[in-house]
Amino acid sequence: MNLPSPGDHVKSRRLRSAVVLGVLLLVLLALPFVLPSFYLFVATRILALGLFATAFNIVFGFGGMPSLGHAAFFGLGAYVVGIASTRSDLPFVVIVVLTLVAGTALGVVFGLFNLRAKGIYLLLLTLALAQAAYGLAFQQVELTGGDNGISGITREGVPIPGSASAFYWLALAMVVVSLSLMWAFMRSPVGMAITGLRESESRLAATGYRVGSYRVYAFAVSGAFSAVAGLLDAYLLGSASPSNMAFLLSAEVMVFAILGGAAFFFGPFLGAAVILSLELYVSTLTSRWTFVLGIVYVLTALFMSDGILGRIAYLRRRARRKTAESPTRAAAGETDVAVPADTDDLVEERHT
Amino acid sequence: MVWLSNVLNGLAFGSLLFLVASGLTITFGLMRTINLAHGAFYLVGGYLAFDLYVRTGSYWLSLVVAVVVTAVIGMLVERLLLHRLLNQELPQIILTVGVSLMIGDLLLTQYGGSPISPPTPAGLEGSMQLFGSVIFPKFRAFLIVLALVLAALIMAFLRFSSIGAKVRSAVDDQEIARTIGIRVPLIFLLVFGAGTALAAFAGVWGGALTSLSPDTGLDVLLLALVVVVVGGLGSVPGALIAAFAVGLLDQFGKVLFPEWSLFTIYAPVALFLAFRPNGLLGKVESR
Repeated sequence: MNLPSPGDHVKSRRLRSAVVLGVLLLVLLALPFVLPSFYLFVATRILALGLFATAFNIVFGFGGMPSLGHAAFFGLGAYVVGIASTRSDLPFVVIVVLTLVAGTALGVVFGLFNLRAKGIYLLLLTLALAQAAYGLAFQQVELTGGDNGISGITREGVPIPGSASAFYWLALAMVVVSLSLMWAFMRSPVGMAITGLRESESRLAATGYRVGSYRVYAFAVSGAFSAVAGLLDAYLLGSASPSNMAFLLSAEVMVFAILGGAAFFFGPFLGAAVILSLELYVSTLTSRWTFVLGIVYVLTALFMSDGILGRIAYLRRRARRKTAESPTRAAAGETDVAVPADTDDLVEERHT
Repeated sequence: MVWLSNVLNGLAFGSLLFLVASGLTITFGLMRTINLAHGAFYLVGGYLAFDLYVRTGSYWLSLVVAVVVTAVIGMLVERLLLHRLLNQELPQIILTVGVSLMIGDLLLTQYGGSPISPPTPAGLEGSMQLFGSVIFPKFRAFLIVLALVLAALIMAFLRFSSIGAKVRSAVDDQEIARTIGIRVPLIFLLVFGAGTALAAFAGVWGGALTSLSPDTGLDVLLLALVVVVVGGLGSVPGALIAAFAVGLLDQFGKVLFPEWSLFTIYAPVALFLAFRPNGLLGKVESR
């Protein structure tokens, strides 16, 4: 977004962000040395679903298009891995490329169908598309294994196969690269235009942008990275099944995004991490995780629709307003326009 | 004459879809409250009727109690939870998915995962002969009639009764409706109750047609959502036509291209919505 004129303030903020990211990355790199294997499995799962949620948010939080069909991309990635790795001995890199191509292609289809749909209609159109894909996964038994899915996906073709830590590092590397690419993409002119879709589509159109094509771009990029997330998940679990494409996953990724904070780049990732960690914790207490998840959904809808990061940003803003007593400052803080100058460089604030 | 029995079976399934969609048409279509727990209420109705029938053996008692109890649960959900999220689509989606996860989990622990079949009224067992050669179950024929009657009743109610007029005005312009003394929150509560009652009613009848298990609620819900949108939000006749169309698509898809069966429903629906997002008989929205 519009950064304020570069001054020492901003530079130090950027430096701080870089340091925080660096430390975080080091901690993530060191995890396999400290975590028992089961926790490492969950950590890898968080990486995959966090990537999925971040990719979903390109369309949802940034593009302002509430898709209720994103499981289709995730499942597609899983099935590409399932089919390619059990029926051929293509090298890992080729499977990744295939996944990217397939995700992009499906994203283009989604984008073209949704050239004009808005709000509820976009929700239902994406839902119908995802159900069509789910139908194929469920019924094309010869290709997909139907209800049972494809099991026995091995990591033989994967670089350094075998150990769980090696796969964790691979997943971490792929997720970091994917997130960096998406981050750069969202700051490119195309990414800015996608954010413009959310802010005001009619103004964007009036300025001469071809609005429809940006919808397609958003879905294509989002679809490609969602499919990569599905690929990681399939390798991790060793299977691909229709539940990877089901409606409940589409709803869950939306909850990840909203709970973490859909207005922020890292919000959805945080949401995924929070819910998966909670699942890990609750499963040690009771077998009724589904029920607890339902409660989490309800609470998120009622109290956390700005997300965790949104709540933090709000509290910080309020604290700052209290310290700065001058009325002009308070008035400026009221209209969120003055805020991005103060928010962390890491978190992209939506100002509507 | 195989095609005729396929047509009839398609219409029977379409009738079930209309029963489910009728409740959604008034909650989602009219009130614009997205209720993805509708499938869960469908299950609650079916399971309660099944349970009561096993205990009491009286069909009508089970039907009525199941429908009333589900409507009360629905109204509680509206009053305590959904009502706080008026006109906020995304939180509504999350909230109602959450509610349906909770209900689904409760049903699973209470009744287990294996399919059950709610009771059918006496006199609808067996089949009848149509046009000499086609044999068709009486229950399914009755279901088609039931859908048509229900559609007519709901349309007449919304069109001619004073409560129907109030509902329409509350939906069209909430603020004006409030200023002329219509108690909009109460109307919405009652409408939502009626919607969940219809879901439970559909659960009893539809469960008897296809049998119920905790995950069938979602399948039915998604099809019913599609029916409501294809028909045009808030349009009862539109939903009826769309339900029959989807029922026929489903039946012929299953018979002709079994490998493509769900695809043959959703892909045409997606195409249709891409070109005509307002559905068959939906009002064009002013933006």
